[in-house]
Amino acid sequence: MKLVLKLLASFVVALVLGVGSALLLLRGGAGLGGAIAVGPWTTSAETGSADADPYTRARIAIGGLLALSRSETIYFTAATDDAGAPLRTRCAYRIIGTDPPARWWSITAYGADHFLIPNPQDRYSFGGNTLAREDDGSFVIFVGPAAADGNWIPTGEKDGTFTLTLRLYNPNEDAARDPSRIELPRIAGEACPS
Amino acid sequence: MKTWPIWIAGTIVLAAVLHILTIFALPYGIMDRAMAGIAAQAGGVNKALYPEPATAGSRGIVRPSPDLLYTACVYDIGARPLRITSPVPDTYWSLSMFASNTDNFFVVNDRQTKTGGIEIILATDDTAKNGNDAQVVIAPSSRGIILFRSLIASDAARPEIDALRRQSRCEPL
Repeated sequence: MKLVLKLLASFVVALVLGVGSALLLLRGGAGLGGAIAVGPWTTSAETGSADADPYTRARIAIGGLLALSRSETIYFTAATDDAGAPLRTRCAYRIIGTDPPARWWSITAYGADHFLIPNPQDRYSFGGNTLAREDDGSFVIFVGPAAADGNWIPTGEKDGTFTLTLRLYNPNEDAARDPSRIELPRIAGEACPS
Repeated sequence: MKTWPIWIAGTIVLAAVLHILTIFALPYGIMDRAMAGIAAQAGGVNKALYPEPATAGSRGIVRPSPDLLYTACVYDIGARPLRITSPVPDTYWSLSMFASNTDNFFVVNDRQTKTGGIEIILATDDTAKNGNDAQVVIAPSSRGIILFRSLIASDAARPEIDALRRQSRCEPL
């Protein structure tokens, strides 16, 4: 009887430690993780690929199921602004940049649950074909809870962390070969009510 | 003799095994759930599903792009190969295939197709090549997901792109 109890206790402890550490590792990291970083944006060269290591595959399954491999699409994710502060839905940000080297691109905001953030405007993203541009061809996208003129991605009414995904469809050859050298938009933190 | 060091060592080894099992099993489990969701809505496997563009209410697949129209089939080619046909629109379009462990084992986009349409046979081995002109793709697993992406180039173009993607089919041979 005592042995059965001991075995059971050992199994429960092992279960909590083993499964818990796995889930913590997969969910704990910022964004989807990934070895390649450009400012606050990160990506993994192995997304969707059969070369993906088990941890990358598991992380993608949780936060990016059915993602394409990088010759077709590069997915960059940012969980912080340029200064390294976690992105929060109650704060305001400006994404400033020029068109990245791809046939088509878009920037989309996702809640901490990896789904689109509910907002009365039903607006979740801007793409290279849908946003308003500055005179010099560059763009500014406002992300935050308060309405802004121009390209505005609302972050709804609930407070929480969020992430941004930049998709590069059919990236140029150089970009696909070495995503770390792509020039990506800046994410400037603006007002953040405490 | 004290047995507690053996118990601690055993527990640590078991924890490590469970950790590795979790990491390996998660992609299969998540993919299974996604396949079950798509098949339930499509009315079975080897049938196409034509969901509306993603909104905050879309809770099926994580991180959907609201700028794309997705069309999906769960494939099950254990018994028979599958014929996949689709018109190819004049906008970014891709057809991708995912194995049961989430690996993206095949992708083709609109610029890589020569005509206005595509026909592909998906099979577990190349015996399906016999008597078929269509390209044969060998899947690494007998079950998985086929996903079509069509970019909504503009609001004006949406009805035409939507009508075209509704002609995408997955049918057993």
